[in-house]
Amino acid sequence: MAESEEEVDVLVQRVVKDINNAFKRNPNIDEIGLIPCPEARYNRSPIVLVENKLGVESWCVKFLLPYVHNKLLLYRQRKQWLDREALVDITCTLLLLNPDFTTAWNVRKELLQCGVLSPEKDLYLGKLALTKYPKSPETWIHRRWVLQWLQKECCPHWAERKEPTEGTHGNAERTHQNERLQRAVQDEMRVCADAAGRYPSNYNAWSHRIWVLQNMAQDSLKVLHDELSSTRLWVSMHVSDHSGFHYRQFLLNALVKELSVARERVTHLSGSDPHRPRQQQPNGDGTASPTEDHPWAAIPQLFHEEMELCTDLIESYPGHETLWCHRRHVFYLWHHWKRENAQGSARLTPSVNHTDPLLGGALVSPAGEAKNIQAMDVDCTPDASKNGGYTQDTKRLKRGPLPPYPGLSSEHSFISRILDDRRSPEQIRFAAAYKKWLDTVVGQ
Amino acid sequence: MGTQVKDVIIKPDAPTTLLLDKHADYIAAYGSKKDDYEYTLSEYLRMSGIYWGLTVMDLMGQLGRMNRDEIIEFIKSCQHECGGISASIGHDPHLLYTLSAVQILTLYDCVNVIDVDKVVEYVRALQQEDGSFAGDKWGEIDTRFSFCAVATLALLGRLDAINVDKAVEFVLSCMNFDGGFGCRPGSESHAGQIYCCTGFLSVTGQLHQVNADLLGWWLCERQLPSGGLNGRPEKLPDVCYSWWVLASLKIIGRIHWIDKMKLRMFILACQDEETGGFADRPGDMVDPFHTLFGVAGLSLLGDEQIKAVNPVFCMPEDVLQRIGLQPELLS
Ligand SMILES: [Zn+2]
Repeated sequence: MAESEEEVDVLVQRVVKDINNAFKRNPNIDEIGLIPCPEARYNRSPIVLVENKLGVESWCVKFLLPYVHNKLLLYRQRKQWLDREALVDITCTLLLLNPDFTTAWNVRKELLQCGVLSPEKDLYLGKLALTKYPKSPETWIHRRWVLQWLQKECCPHWAERKEPTEGTHGNAERTHQNERLQRAVQDEMRVCADAAGRYPSNYNAWSHRIWVLQNMAQDSLKVLHDELSSTRLWVSMHVSDHSGFHYRQFLLNALVKELSVARERVTHLSGSDPHRPRQQQPNGDGTASPTEDHPWAAIPQLFHEEMELCTDLIESYPGHETLWCHRRHVFYLWHHWKRENAQGSARLTPSVNHTDPLLGGALVSPAGEAKNIQAMDVDCTPDASKNGGYTQDTKRLKRGPLPPYPGLSSEHSFISRILDDRRSPEQIRFAAAYKKWLDTVVGQ
Repeated sequence: MGTQVKDVIIKPDAPTTLLLDKHADYIAAYGSKKDDYEYTLSEYLRMSGIYWGLTVMDLMGQLGRMNRDEIIEFIKSCQHECGGISASIGHDPHLLYTLSAVQILTLYDCVNVIDVDKVVEYVRALQQEDGSFAGDKWGEIDTRFSFCAVATLALLGRLDAINVDKAVEFVLSCMNFDGGFGCRPGSESHAGQIYCCTGFLSVTGQLHQVNADLLGWWLCERQLPSGGLNGRPEKLPDVCYSWWVLASLKIIGRIHWIDKMKLRMFILACQDEETGGFADRPGDMVDPFHTLFGVAGLSLLGDEQIKAVNPVFCMPEDVLQRIGLQPELLS
């Protein structure tokens, strides 16, 4: 093609306008893509809107990208002036074509700071870029900055502002801002899930999801439980996705920590020894569900269900390294939790170690094996549906009562069972490696 | 339901010898297509691109073919008022490209063409209270940036400018149960992050804090039947991950735990016999990034046609000797 420079200029400016008009006309665009099309068709814009998908015909990209790229860099070097509107349009086009162009995201950060762009509008552009480039590191990095900006905008240290005249108006505004923030957090989880579905073991998507939990989640116990149950089906359908399973390992670890904090608090408030039998606790009538009275009592159950899920998946999908890695981590967390709690109770009240129904003192005999399984089943088996145990329930119907809590010996018999079944050489290799890992890393 | 291991099959006609001349020609020609669409697309990381090209040329003994004066002028024009250096002219400064620029100037033995004090101040100011480093003024935290910070300062002989103890504390807080490291506390272990963290601990002399056997175990499990290494469980093997895993193993003194011969054959199979250069996997498109890590990997495996590479800085050992830098390695 022998377009002159001016012709290219006119063409490209029109395309940039077309893209931004498409967004104005249809605020529900939910995906972007390139339409393979080597030649221009005259009198037709290369921007195509089908349903809620925005397509760019591939022939125009080789003109479009260098143009917006150079335009932005000239602006950055103060060699050419661009007004704010133009900056919004140009960075939008540029980032949809090249989302790792860090400086373009930085220009948008500045536009946010001076109020030209709203955080929500900017997060939306990133979301679209991720539909085509689900890994794009710079897009994820930029989102974290915008989310922090939004957080500041929504909660500008209410407590410090002592303005009694604000009254109910202030409260309404606070509620409104809080809802806005929670909506953003919800959206963010959906963006992560979408990107995780578009690219397997998407490190950036899953580590971003962890970041959101660590930095933005309120009522973390509830959120952690919700996340654990909402990712259960997903990992069952993506048994090679190590990042997805790592996320569950993170959730379990975080839940154990949160629940332990809850325990300290209860102990502190009641001034009682956490290892005393429950009847002596102020609220204890001996009949309430242990998970309601004492949330930390749910910990063994959480680990138990995760190990069960892992067993199901390993048996249904032989030869997946991811599942064996998951088993290592979950067992490791469980093993350490048991050991720490055994030590804790031994130090505080060695005499009640084996009679304590709350901490599962019976569970954590020095050998680390389950001895008082029946008591644990009565005390610590909450309604499985509460924990989203869909597979668990169906399995349990088939199998009868839950098998014993995992310990080193039950792990070894699980391994023997797998090794006996010689159908998958990969499975045998992973089982043998797991056995070696148990012997050297855990068993020492 | 059976499964196949996620791996590649190396074809019988894949290259088995090192095509050094082809690779040198490929890199020498790469920068000449500056109007290329792909070239525009990758401008946001240009400074690192130049570092990859120059380092691989130096490892092959061909640094003289590159345009030294033009590159030095380019770097000077990428240093900003704040002291930081950007990927290219008009882009914003960042630690990633500041390290690349300092590496290039160290190769050329002329760090003083830029304002070194300002670089040191730029890096120092990016350290956070918890010891971590932001990548730039916008505040993103990542263990990669911890590595960039200490590597830059070590090359400039100015490690004393930051709180090293705090920096170490942060990196160790990103260690996982499998002995590996992620980008932030709680994040999944990843071979690229492990390279940055073991490199960081090497530069700061803290490798005794690593559980070398446990980490070595995880790293060795990255080797697949094809001989190539992946970066995480059930990912495909890749020449760049082969470098990161191999260099980490070298740093923690466990390189003899993998099958070196098989890895060598995998890396050689990733060469393009016609164009020169290495791809991520056999048969894919080549690029300077994988070309550097292919050649550097072969160097770590002991190929004597290539200069010895330092596993921490990914630079020729003779260059580091010249500036008297000897990062710690475990044995
Ligand atoms: Zn690669």
